[in-house]
Amino acid sequence: MNVLELKDVTKKYGSFTAVENVSLELEPGKVLSLLGPSGCGKTTTLRIIAGFAVPDGGTVQIAGEDVGQLKPYERNVGLLFQDYALFPHMTVAQNVAYGMRYRGAPAAAIPSRIKQMLSLVQLGGMEARYPNQLSGGQQQRVALARALATDPKVVLLDEPLSALDAKLRLELRIELKEILRSVGATTIVVTHDQEEALSLGDEVVIMHAGGIVQRGAPTQIYQSPANKFVAEFVGRSNWFQVIRSGQSVAGFTSYITSDGVEIRAKSPPSGYNGGSDLCVRPEHIELIDSAAPEALRGAEHNSMTGVVLDVASLGPDVHVVVELPGKARVLAIRKNAGRIQGLAPGQCVRAVFSAADVLVF
Amino acid sequence: MLSTKERLNAEVTVRTKALVSAKPILSKRRVDSLLTVAVTAIIAVTALFLLFPVVVTVLMAFDARDYIGPFPPTELSTRWFGKLLEDTYIWAGFKTSLLLAAATTAAAAAIGALAALAISWMSPRWRDFVTTMFLSPLVLPGVIIGFGLLMFFAAFNQVPVFLKLFAGHLIITLPFTIRMTLVGLAGISQTLREAALSLGANERQVFFTITLPLAKNGIAAGAIFAFATSMDDVAVSLFMSDFQTYTLPLALTTLIKSSFDLTIAAAAVALMGLTIVLLIVLDRVLGLERAMGHGTNRIR
Repeated sequence: MNVLELKDVTKKYGSFTAVENVSLELEPGKVLSLLGPSGCGKTTTLRIIAGFAVPDGGTVQIAGEDVGQLKPYERNVGLLFQDYALFPHMTVAQNVAYGMRYRGAPAAAIPSRIKQMLSLVQLGGMEARYPNQLSGGQQQRVALARALATDPKVVLLDEPLSALDAKLRLELRIELKEILRSVGATTIVVTHDQEEALSLGDEVVIMHAGGIVQRGAPTQIYQSPANKFVAEFVGRSNWFQVIRSGQSVAGFTSYITSDGVEIRAKSPPSGYNGGSDLCVRPEHIELIDSAAPEALRGAEHNSMTGVVLDVASLGPDVHVVVELPGKARVLAIRKNAGRIQGLAPGQCVRAVFSAADVLVF
Repeated sequence: MLSTKERLNAEVTVRTKALVSAKPILSKRRVDSLLTVAVTAIIAVTALFLLFPVVVTVLMAFDARDYIGPFPPTELSTRWFGKLLEDTYIWAGFKTSLLLAAATTAAAAAIGALAALAISWMSPRWRDFVTTMFLSPLVLPGVIIGFGLLMFFAAFNQVPVFLKLFAGHLIITLPFTIRMTLVGLAGISQTLREAALSLGANERQVFFTITLPLAKNGIAAGAIFAFATSMDDVAVSLFMSDFQTYTLPLALTTLIKSSFDLTIAAAAVALMGLTIVLLIVLDRVLGLERAMGHGTNRIR
């Protein structure tokens, strides 16, 4: 049975429709990421589930109970706020105990539960500290312990890692995942950060303009985006605008782009009307010596010479910007291995990518 | 693509800077140091100016001469303090003032806190309007408030003088308590309230466990201002008092007009001492709180 079920939920603020006909269901113990740009309706969805906003239409069910009209304190939903929202005038222990107190936990059971929760988030011995005496990472763990202490039916995480610095983020992401899994929390992560969404969620829901655009496993979202918006929003991509399509051979079609470049890709979807966009992920573009024989020529490959404009070495990855004929620029991301090191701006290279890796919209 | 642009930008910036620094202005540094000296001097003069009346009053209170002679005193004694202790007129005013300030502070703090809370719940447009209304006594001259109240109370017969004083002082102290509580409430993040609600506390419980404790410092600061204002007021009290019930500032102004001795300076010094003690006590109470919660309103 689904722990959480949203059916055709709509919320309007005046003439602005924040969320329209959103339907979601979540199985117990699963982590679902709601990903989208700001204003896409993900935060409104979160606030509707938490009870801070009342939907104008549709139903919200938690564990089979219709909670759409219930106050936040009448439903058992755990919330982790972006700024943690720890009570500054209470100790760590008092913060964690707060929810238990008002959810009617027996007073005798509270101390042992505090201890259990704090050891879960590895903050044993910090009971008497005040929030301002903790680091950002520790504050977040206290907030998590506080949210989980009441054993909520659904846990909502609002941009859980965005307030932390990059290094700590990675550490805490892994830890957060482990903790959520160990308590079997049914979780919704709301974020605009794709890395956060893709890494935390068993499944990812992409939202745009108040509606759900695509739902799928993280790899599925990245590899086969449902539309141009998803492809553009998740990951980096190179875009080509098609002005006309040429001949088709063995399921692949030649497209002429607005830059005058010919790119082979999968044949257009049915109902194709002449104009479309092609998308190539930067890591799919191979850069080889321009003098090398064109071994990869064929209907299923693209190969074109270009000039290196910029090489930026970013640790494990090297970002190379190549200008193709017709002034089209593409970004190629290569691993920082030995053979790329010779690349320098001004150099002629051959950009090669498989026609199968080109996404057609 | 982007990085090329950034690189170009960086180069342009460097070149622009080179152009600017090619024409050095010698006096720039000197102007800076002159300004620093000037600002320091202004601060010093202002501080002296502020402290001068206090220093004069304290020294004159210990003047041994039995008339108000020119500053500085030629001889020192504590005779005026002795006279102050025996002066029933000043003592009666002091007692009324203290009682009045205490009652006013308590009422203003309570009413101000509740009013501020209600204002903080209003929609922005109403919030500004109502806040301005409540804070208007700050810009209204006390004489006008006093006169208006006098006319108002004239409509009733036999209103106790203390009650009239209390009403007048409430009007002039409420802006402080409302203002300071509003500042305190503004520092409480909305997510704290929502966090408490999501943890199962209802609105009333959230108010008593989160909002009130966090707004406490603001309310206390407003109360201090209210107390000080009430103790100090002359203009409004002048219209509300009679020959039997009068406040300390009124007693002092009457004295300075009728008799030429320095009991008034001694009274001022005693009042200063009382204020300092009061502030130290309040700082201890609030200061301890601050050390525990560090600003109490926000985590960082």
